Amino acid sequence: MTKALKMNKNTQQCILDFLKFLLEKDKVKGVFTLKRINKNKDVAYSLITNPDEISTAVPFYPLMPVNAGKLLSRFTLKGSTKKPVVAVVKPCELRGFIELIKREQGSLENLFIISSTCSGVYPLKMAIDGVIEKNLPEYWDMVKKGEISPDLRSACRTCEEFIPYTADITVDLLGKNDVDKQCIMFLNTEKAEELAKDMNGEILDKELDNKKLDKIRDKRQNEKKKFFDEIEKKLNGMDGLIEIFGRCIGCHGCSKVCPICYCKLCIFESPDSEYRPSNYESDLRIKGGLKVPPGTLYYQLGRLTHIGISCVACGQCEDACPVDIPLSIIFKKVGESIQKIFDYVPGKNIEEEIPLVTFKQEEFVEIEK
Amino acid sequence: MDKGIFDAILIPMKVPAGDSYVYVLIKDKSLIKDVLPFPPIMSVQGAKAVSSITRLGKGNIKIAAVMRPCEIRATIELAKLEQTNLENITLVSMDCPGVIPFSDFIKDPEKAMELFDNAIKQEDDKIMRPVCQICDKSSMIAGDLHIGTLGAKKDTFFIISNSKKGNDVLDKLDITSKDSIDSWKAKVKEKTEKKQIKRKKTHKDLKTQMGGLDNFLDTFSKCINCHNCMSVCPICYCRLCYFDSDKVKYSPKEYLQRAENKGSIRFLPDTSLFQIGRMIHMSLSCVSCGSCEDACPMSIPVAQIFSMIADETQGLFDYIAGRSLYEPIPLKTYKEDELHEVEDAHD
Repeated sequence: MTKALKMNKNTQQCILDFLKFLLEKDKVKGVFTLKRINKNKDVAYSLITNPDEISTAVPFYPLMPVNAGKLLSRFTLKGSTKKPVVAVVKPCELRGFIELIKREQGSLENLFIISSTCSGVYPLKMAIDGVIEKNLPEYWDMVKKGEISPDLRSACRTCEEFIPYTADITVDLLGKNDVDKQCIMFLNTEKAEELAKDMNGEILDKELDNKKLDKIRDKRQNEKKKFFDEIEKKLNGMDGLIEIFGRCIGCHGCSKVCPICYCKLCIFESPDSEYRPSNYESDLRIKGGLKVPPGTLYYQLGRLTHIGISCVACGQCEDACPVDIPLSIIFKKVGESIQKIFDYVPGKNIEEEIPLVTFKQEEFVEIEK
Repeated sequence: MDKGIFDAILIPMKVPAGDSYVYVLIKDKSLIKDVLPFPPIMSVQGAKAVSSITRLGKGNIKIAAVMRPCEIRATIELAKLEQTNLENITLVSMDCPGVIPFSDFIKDPEKAMELFDNAIKQEDDKIMRPVCQICDKSSMIAGDLHIGTLGAKKDTFFIISNSKKGNDVLDKLDITSKDSIDSWKAKVKEKTEKKQIKRKKTHKDLKTQMGGLDNFLDTFSKCINCHNCMSVCPICYCRLCYFDSDKVKYSPKEYLQRAENKGSIRFLPDTSLFQIGRMIHMSLSCVSCGSCEDACPMSIPVAQIFSMIADETQGLFDYIAGRSLYEPIPLKTYKEDELHEVEDAHD
């Protein structure tokens, strides 16, 4: 059994109260969360230090403007925070952050993580004309029922990893039908229990309703099968790859927003990938015609190889793609197939090493043969 | 190619799936039947295509690059910035009707193609990129050869040379006729004047809408820092952008300090600073092609904003980006006598 803090109020309000409490009681010096940033009610990740500003925070807003794992990495890139900070993030964002920490791109020290069972987010496009804002009642209805809206990101509709692995606090949201009357926060770590000390509410011994969550997972699995079957047909062989990626404009936006792609200089933007006259002249002798700039498919295959093992399937790449390539499903499918070989779930366990940097004398003998 | 003037042609071609057009360098003449010199979209800005094959040197083959006027202007800017070598490249442009935004095109490429053809016939630009609708340089001749269709009799066109390279090509093709291009000039003038009025109005409205710091910040409030605008910009050629460099990475202490000063900060901070920085860095060379706006996942009207800033900064130096290879970039030119009004303001 896990300790849980129960409060009899709307869950979203309870979290705001809790965040404010943490700042006011000096338990943390900063709160990292989604927040409304202007009179148009636009939502962006923010670092809040003034308790009065918590009222404009929207921790569970169904939008991922940037994968927060990338942002927490930026926050702690130059060293861990000496002052305690609490961050409210989605499970896949937390997993992205953990993968980055394994790559020495951030630190969890003095960071407290609040996450929740996650219903998913809407595509970024829907934030443009305020569509998400209008959809909020429908979204929360869906959260309560544990249903999948066809409007959500395809990555979210097909996500089975909606329970955070390493959060200090897990907020019960998905499929909780009284989410607007009651709030349950699971205190997973000692740190969490300490933070919640003196907060108004009742401490219980409780577990997540796994039966209910398993049913939701089944639904998502069915959805995933549909998406995977469809993409498998299209991704067939070289011709399939060219069909799918042929319209890529080489902006590399997918890599810029990817929580795993942390290289300061991507090899595909380096001098190694530049075309020398001797290269294209010899290519022209063989082929008669060449796409320029070259390497569209090579870039995508390269990125699949480089990040597949750690892809947390957040769907940010697809949202940033100006030409609507179904990247999230492609990367999820390829990522899972690589991860399965090594029995690895990216971001699940900070102690578990990345398979590609781990040497085992006895493995893949079947390939050697 | 038959006459041996060029060894290869750089020109757009449809991709196998039919949902885009990309630049292809063609040596095999049989492939030429599949090209489309003026496709309905601009997937990659042509200047980037030219730069990708000539940045490291001129090569041994002679290439004709067939591109839109704004792509040629960007190519010329890149040549001034030493990011392309034009020695073996002949730039060929045409009167440009504009392009459809990529996101509109991919919804239904066939339908979009139909709309595009109709729009050209009816000289109606409302389906084009917003910056194409206010483009007053769609027939500007900056390259070596220009194909003029405006003011030409049905099924004919003008070939206009703009350089020695262009003259040489015409000579080798035995084109000596010296027909008057007055009808083309008249039509171009008429179109340009109309567009200039529209451009001024659009910019004026935009200025009202986003003037002042608050409105400016609101305009970019949805920016997700993907930097797609910069990646696709033909002028932004830096391999490592200042705004991706260590200079803009701070310690947790500094981030918290900044938050404490204001109560909260957007994270990442400096989202709008990136936009201002980019304006300062490249607006003197901005050709208003609209690639940035097409690539913005949040539909921020970047290209319209940048075209407004570019007109102002370029106007200050009486400079038009890419107009001429021989016009030096203002920021690289020292004149003892200029901008006194700025000096005087600080007296």
